[in-house]
Amino acid sequence: MSGAQQVLLVALRTLIGWHFLYEGYFKLATPGWGADGQPLSAWSSAGYLRGATGPFASVFHAVAASPWLGSTDIIVAAALAAVGIGLMLGLFTQIASAGGIALLTLFYVSSIPLDGLPGPRLEGAYLIVNKNLVELAALAVVFTFRTGRIAGLDQLRARSTARQSAVRSTGAAA
Amino acid sequence: MTITPEKAAEGRRNFLKILAGTPALAALGVTAAMKGPVRGGPVRVGFIGVGGQGRALLSNVDPAFADVRALCDINPTSLARADEVLVRNKVAAARHYADFREMLQKEDLEAVIMAPPLWAHADLTVGCLEAGKHVLCEKMMAGSVADCERMRETARRTGKVLEIGYQRNYNAMYHAAYDGIIKSGAIGDVYHVRLAWHRNGNWRRQGTPPSPDFDASKWGYPTFEHLINWRLYWKYSQGLMAELCSHQLNAANWFLGSKPEAVHATGGVLRFKDGREVFDHVYATFEYPTGQTAVFSSVESNAFDDYYEMFMGTKGTLILRREIEALYFEEGGGEAGATSITVAPQTAGPVALSSETQAANTNQQMAQGSPVSPLFDRPRSTRLQIQRFCSAIRVGTPLACGPDKAFDSATACIRANDAAKQKARLPV
Repeated sequence: MSGAQQVLLVALRTLIGWHFLYEGYFKLATPGWGADGQPLSAWSSAGYLRGATGPFASVFHAVAASPWLGSTDIIVAAALAAVGIGLMLGLFTQIASAGGIALLTLFYVSSIPLDGLPGPRLEGAYLIVNKNLVELAALAVVFTFRTGRIAGLDQLRARSTARQSAVRSTGAAA
Repeated sequence: MTITPEKAAEGRRNFLKILAGTPALAALGVTAAMKGPVRGGPVRVGFIGVGGQGRALLSNVDPAFADVRALCDINPTSLARADEVLVRNKVAAARHYADFREMLQKEDLEAVIMAPPLWAHADLTVGCLEAGKHVLCEKMMAGSVADCERMRETARRTGKVLEIGYQRNYNAMYHAAYDGIIKSGAIGDVYHVRLAWHRNGNWRRQGTPPSPDFDASKWGYPTFEHLINWRLYWKYSQGLMAELCSHQLNAANWFLGSKPEAVHATGGVLRFKDGREVFDHVYATFEYPTGQTAVFSSVESNAFDDYYEMFMGTKGTLILRREIEALYFEEGGGEAGATSITVAPQTAGPVALSSETQAANTNQQMAQGSPVSPLFDRPRSTRLQIQRFCSAIRVGTPLACGPDKAFDSATACIRANDAAKQKARLPV
């Protein structure tokens, strides 16, 4: 890969990472206060899940109605933040990428745009392909190219592991 | 001064025309910083002093911003009435205290909102700040310059939020007028400001003690009458200068971007010679170092003129009446004599029975005019004031009237009373 290709891939991973991290942080920071001084009520996935459509709608509706919805909210928010940190730092990049793909898959299948019309909470009109799917595809690219090996803490981790292996094998040989 | 309905309508049109496109609410000081949310729920607050004005504040607490945990007042009747406010607001009941120290000790509070008699402002505010609480204290800041300084210094040292309650600072009409007419230069150079607050009635209140054995003396009031009429005695009050003038002078300082350097004043107990000490008529002239003069008059014998602030510029005249109505007249523009004022039949509103802070003036007659916009009503200003106090605590949004601004208007009003007593011109 050329230098530019490597830089752009890592940049793509970092941008997606920031998106995940801030989404997770925002959810974990509520109930809270915005910088404009307005209070923010606690985030909940209930509305999103209740509005789920598509083949798995009944599963999402059941989660929305379940008593452990609060725990689900925390898990989702924490997972978003963890994926975001992993992608930004290039740490456990493959796991973070896979986790991100899994989350985006859930988000996508819970609300596949089939009517092609602009919705009240959408910036535009989508048919089949929406921003979740595009981000999912981008993350699949990040996963496939193993960008943690290009730049990130995974490199340091790999070097450290290699050094330890070398020490062990030297010791065994002696 | 009064203005015919036709002239008032013209003035309102002029005001709105000149403000076309002015984002009034955007001017309230919030700037969106590039940062995410800060975790936290409503601010846990206690109230001290739930008389008329305290209850007006209490009734305007937005539960999304503040959670009222406790009420403190030496008068059980006031506490009972405050409970009714909480019931009306459909929020949880709050625990009662007579001693603020006990309240601070037993309650997990972050902030205190207070509206006690003026003489208690400094001790209560300093006590709360020292205990690590943020404070929203009703105007005026305090009854003496030394007490004002003590409050300001304690706020600085503790790093806690101290806001002094001047609702005009949260009135969108004032912000629109300031941005669209004063700051924009549309009014030209302002050399003269006229401040008036005229009423015809007795400030004295009647009331019975909450119980036959109620002893006001342990709180520093020799009789119950002194407690309910604290505004009438110098020990507790700075009279009309504190209760009325300080509101208007605070707005004048804001609009002129300055503060008085000297004041001469006169006044006296001219009508109600019933044992009261504070003047029932006061007249003060405030001199600004930048060449402007603000003249204030407050009489308790004639309600003609009601109350207003008038800013007279080289290009126009801005009149803000009763906090709900704004008029603007161009000098030499529009109709001939656009700034001329004609006399109309007098409408004498009753004296407010509660504090002169406007949120409480629900009984003040509002026969003339109507709000320029629903955004400008008084409860909205009070509500916004408490909201902004809470957001200052949580995310540091700027204060509209922090200790420095409040200090400037309070000290000028205190010196005005000194000047009136001495019939002298005094430096502020």
